[in-house]
Amino acid sequence: MAELDPSKKVADRYLKREVLGEGTYGVVYKAIDTQTGQTVAIKKIRIGKQKEGVNFTALREIKLLKELNDPNIIELIDAFPHKGNLHLVFEFMETDLEAVIRDRNIFLSPGDIKSYLQMTLKGLAHCHKRWILHRDMKPNNLLIGPNGQLKLADFGLARIFGSPDRRFTHQVFARWYRAPELLFGTKQYGPGVDVWAAACIFAELLLRRPFLQGSSDIDQLGKIFAAFGTPSSSQWPDMVYLPDYVEYQYVPSPPLRSLFPMASDDALDLLSKMFTYDPKERISVQQALEHRYFSCPPLCTIPDKLPRPPPKKETKASDLNPNEGPIVLSPPRKTRRVMPGRDGLEGNSLQGDKIDDNHSNFKQSIDDTTGKNDPAPMSLDFSVFGLKPPNRPTINSADKTHLKRKLDLEFQ
Amino acid sequence: MADFMTSTHRAKWIFSPQKLVEKYEAANQRARQTLEKCGATLMEVDVDGSLSYPEPQTTANDSAEKHSRIKPLSIEEEQCIKVFYENKLQEVCKNFHFPHKIQATALIFFKRFYLQWSVMEHQPKNIMLTCIYAACKIEENHVSAEELGKGISQDHQMILNNEMIVYQSLEFDLIVYAPYRSVVGFTDYMKEFCNAGEDELQTLKALQNTATLEIDKMMLTDGPLLFPPGQMALAGLRTSNALHNVVDFDSFLSRILSHQNSMHTMAELQESLDAIDSWVRKYRSPSEKELKHINRKLKSCWGLSSHDEGKKREKKSKHKSKKSSNEAQNT
Repeated sequence: MAELDPSKKVADRYLKREVLGEGTYGVVYKAIDTQTGQTVAIKKIRIGKQKEGVNFTALREIKLLKELNDPNIIELIDAFPHKGNLHLVFEFMETDLEAVIRDRNIFLSPGDIKSYLQMTLKGLAHCHKRWILHRDMKPNNLLIGPNGQLKLADFGLARIFGSPDRRFTHQVFARWYRAPELLFGTKQYGPGVDVWAAACIFAELLLRRPFLQGSSDIDQLGKIFAAFGTPSSSQWPDMVYLPDYVEYQYVPSPPLRSLFPMASDDALDLLSKMFTYDPKERISVQQALEHRYFSCPPLCTIPDKLPRPPPKKETKASDLNPNEGPIVLSPPRKTRRVMPGRDGLEGNSLQGDKIDDNHSNFKQSIDDTTGKNDPAPMSLDFSVFGLKPPNRPTINSADKTHLKRKLDLEFQ
Repeated sequence: MADFMTSTHRAKWIFSPQKLVEKYEAANQRARQTLEKCGATLMEVDVDGSLSYPEPQTTANDSAEKHSRIKPLSIEEEQCIKVFYENKLQEVCKNFHFPHKIQATALIFFKRFYLQWSVMEHQPKNIMLTCIYAACKIEENHVSAEELGKGISQDHQMILNNEMIVYQSLEFDLIVYAPYRSVVGFTDYMKEFCNAGEDELQTLKALQNTATLEIDKMMLTDGPLLFPPGQMALAGLRTSNALHNVVDFDSFLSRILSHQNSMHTMAELQESLDAIDSWVRKYRSPSEKELKHINRKLKSCWGLSSHDEGKKREKKSKHKSKKSSNEAQNT
């Protein structure tokens, strides 16, 4: 029964270090696991007297990560309650793919891009093989460890698929990574949604900026169609039957080459297969890994040699030059990422607020003090869409009140 | 999750019969010691999973005498109580029309919980309800604690109070595998195996239904802690097939073994299925009279029988329910 007595555990096993970030869920801090000498990140989630008990997002993450064991998936080392908080102990990760993509001091060679994409797809393949959809693939959920290994993290929206006729919410993924079938409101979907998001990440690695930056769900579809052309019914027969289907004005597809001038033919071929409209025709993660893009030169850079930004721990707040502050590239968080009880699907199981993943919050809190109104880097090229760059979302005061309100509601 | 082979279920939660007995003994022994020391065994649990043992009653002179009158439950008696509440658990799930999967998950949670604890330490009625609530949550079929409490006129705050200690006692291994899915899978396989036509499909459906009922019975035994779900499914199908006579079961089994590259031999598999059958045969529901007697004993172990204590606890729970209704208003 000793292991059921958690009161000693933090003191006995984990030596607390500095706080890494803070968000609606609680605090993330760095610690040393004295049993293994390993550096870990501990996510503290307030328990409190909540109406629906232990936080759903945390439970999803725990139950799935306990069963997943792969070099490209974040390891959940331990979970235990301690002094009114649920503690989740993860392996410590230095940075994430979003930080790599936006660091303008970093040059990504074709081999680097291939390596990052391959690790992303390998992690995803492990999930899909075990019938798990990640449903929140985006660069800042792809963490990078001290040895350059990329790992999928934040399984708070992930869930098991494969039960016949089970219906899901379509309110998943950050908008820029959402597949067209989700934007048309499908309730039955599969691993293809993760493939689409992985394709967006691939494109982002090639372009060094988010590829399809819609400002609303309608606009997101507009951006997708502007890039690949409005899908014809022969391309995607089921499209017209989707719940929120609306007809878009026909636009032809520009040659893919014009959007990605620097990409190799193999890269473009894989990209177009991952960006296939009809989810039934879309390439699977396993097939993508077997695509000749990965077997033809240049070979994947070995993880250890991959370029990445200096580890966060080295930057002290006082050293930060305000002009070099990081720029948040994520879309503004939807006020409600999931619609509780909508159509009665998934019941209100989603009303547990999403725990904001530590990393984005960490970044956002830095932004607050340093890079708040940074202009968008001028090097970005939006001319392909003939559009002005969308407002780069940063966390503003309105968002903060919202966060606060959420906090008040949750933990009174 | 279709990967039982790499699961926590397979790695950590399938035991040998001896190991099970050891675990039951350890929990029982600990409760006995608490009873000796404190005169009662029931633990107080908080929302955050923290526990406190009953306070030793040092003031009363007659305590020593009183303690000696309170007898702890034997392991067999504990088993009777668990059997009772496991049946109740199935009943509650049926009344709520929950899918089989949820019922099975809740049952496995309940069984695993009482591998760590004695029924003298945590009230099985509360733990049973919390296990149902937790199973709904884990299987993504959420039912609010309030709704669940209302449906069976129980205080829902108690469900929430126990949630963390349940997860913790499960060591946060929350994905469990029940045999029901495997029955469906094996029946599909049987369709191919006997090249079923329209008529046979009907019989196969009946075969599957009988097997499912058979599994319901197995789930009440220690089976789920001793055998992988696939073997339980096969045992259910074997019994069902003996009734419906659809396939030659031995050749069906050897076909499965040859296809799955199984690490088991045919003889080992047969032995497991026989063992599962014998657990079902050995299963015994205690009589009402027996239960009443054990329950009385259990209550005095909890320290709930004495007049004072009962009052105190009543007050406490009133206070709690008031608090929770306040909370409901605030949110």
